[in-house]
Amino acid sequence: MGKNFSAPLERTARLLDLVPYINAHQGIALKDLAAVFEVSNAQMVNDLTTLWMCGLPGYTPLELMDLDFESGYVSISNAPTLAKPRSVTFDEGVALILGLDLLRASIPIDRIDLLEKIDSLSARISAIINLSSTFSVIAPINQGVSAAIDEALSSRCTLEIEYHSVYRDEITERVVFPIEIVEIDGQQYLSSYCYSASDFRQFKLDRIQRAVVTHEIKTIPKDSSKNEKINSRLKVLKPNRQIAERFSKSDLKAGSEFVFQTYSQQWLERSILSSGDGVALITPPEIRASIAQLAQSMLDRYKVE
Amino acid sequence: MSRKIERLINLTIALLATKRYLTKSEIFKSVEGYEGSAETKERMFERDKDDLRSLGIEIEVGSFDPLFNDEAGYRIKQEKYQLDLGEITPTEISLLSLAAQAWQGASFDEAAQKALLKLSSMGVPSDSLSLPTSAHKVNDGGGDLPLITKAIAEQQLITFVYLDSQLDRQERKVVPVGLSSRSGFWYISGVDQEIQEIRTFRIDRIDGEITATKGPKDFELPQSFDPARVFDGDASQSFAIIDVRKGKGFSLRALASSSQSLGEWDQLKLPIYNLNTLASLVLWHGIDVHVQEPFELRELIVAHLEKLVNNHG
Repeated sequence: MGKNFSAPLERTARLLDLVPYINAHQGIALKDLAAVFEVSNAQMVNDLTTLWMCGLPGYTPLELMDLDFESGYVSISNAPTLAKPRSVTFDEGVALILGLDLLRASIPIDRIDLLEKIDSLSARISAIINLSSTFSVIAPINQGVSAAIDEALSSRCTLEIEYHSVYRDEITERVVFPIEIVEIDGQQYLSSYCYSASDFRQFKLDRIQRAVVTHEIKTIPKDSSKNEKINSRLKVLKPNRQIAERFSKSDLKAGSEFVFQTYSQQWLERSILSSGDGVALITPPEIRASIAQLAQSMLDRYKVE
Repeated sequence: MSRKIERLINLTIALLATKRYLTKSEIFKSVEGYEGSAETKERMFERDKDDLRSLGIEIEVGSFDPLFNDEAGYRIKQEKYQLDLGEITPTEISLLSLAAQAWQGASFDEAAQKALLKLSSMGVPSDSLSLPTSAHKVNDGGGDLPLITKAIAEQQLITFVYLDSQLDRQERKVVPVGLSSRSGFWYISGVDQEIQEIRTFRIDRIDGEITATKGPKDFELPQSFDPARVFDGDASQSFAIIDVRKGKGFSLRALASSSQSLGEWDQLKLPIYNLNTLASLVLWHGIDVHVQEPFELRELIVAHLEKLVNNHG
């Protein structure tokens, strides 16, 4: 997002940053340098030519920077004043500090050495950009879990997980073959083949309680089935935010109806129960009857006492 | 255009290299590119100073002999200009690089890329193989995090429309003090100007743009604010007693302050933050959960159940 500088200012900033970069990467190919700074080769030659004219007052060959790039490879000398990179801006510093927070959440708890380094780096950057205190907290995904997932993904082996299924209200142990981490509506899921369910499943990362790499190479069966989709029709009675978010409907009006597809009957039943008098299921009739029955048996228990 | 850029670079180099303040006349004499009438040079220099400052380069103004009322001089301090992280190891460089890479495709991406470029210009090799983790992506849900962090740092007032639990759109005016993330959602905490109390808002529930304006002059950061406790809820006065079948009700168990075994069931004691939210969570669990106390919660659940039976009969 950053600030949008005018073209000459943007170029000035780029030239100032070019000097320390070349200094740390002497002999870098011109085209690689252009790629790093996201400009064309011609623009890079232009930039280097301009830099060549710069230096300390006096501007004799002794005071000018010495740039060599005619061979297609770039090196620099005699640029001591600009040799070190510029300090970070406020936004750059915040990006690093928040990124470190996120990183901290994924480091195993026994790597105290790394956790200390992260805290110290965060403090040093806060000091540079004058940030008074820590203003952010990133609640960790279980550190051991994310490390095991990383390992299983990179070595393509199976994973034993303990998973809290909210739909089924159960904690189950499963053996899965992880495929990738996917993001759905801002939430992270581990997309896997689950040997316990003999089907593909997505596991919400923060509901994986425990994960252990089994170092077992298994394959995904060819005939892995797909569950059947449930097509439902619902009626909105009392709209509220929970219903809107649960069914991903931004526009809810009392009295309106909408269709919704899901793979889980349990999820559908629980969602309607928890909405109370907020939403009612119209079809399918068998699930409608099941909800009525569930509610009646709960009610009976309250009436008995 | 090229000449202006050359002049800005030369000015930066001259002000960085000098050990004492340089006066304007010295600058005009020695730095290449200042030409024309005295007035033109003056204007050029003023604009150049503003330009360098807008790039984040601090130009100090001072006089090199405090005993005399000298002409003002200028310099750029090396220690302010340069990225100084002290002694830095290859492992630390790798940690910072991973931190920057986390923003790929998210709102701080551009700033993070610039920071990464500076890190790789420090001449310290990285050592990512020794790290037990790979880059994790930040997901900011489309929220404008740079605007929010700037508002926190400058104690600005932010105004936005927030979707409350009844889907009403309310305008909120908040001085933000903290930013947090949990389970993939981002939250702003801040002092709600209407009630002068700290409230926490989930960023994806903000409808439309956030605007930032100058904050109240007398704003003081509340002493009681602890960013680590944003999700703990307020100290609750009342508790619910809820029976949960063994091996069930994990979401409720996670909230319980105590649990007692009753054979086939466990009896949990739960703090009540919001009666409606708790009722909804109890209903989600169906026949595996049963409320004993308080009476209002039982009443609320019974009322919902009667409607549910009616609506689905």
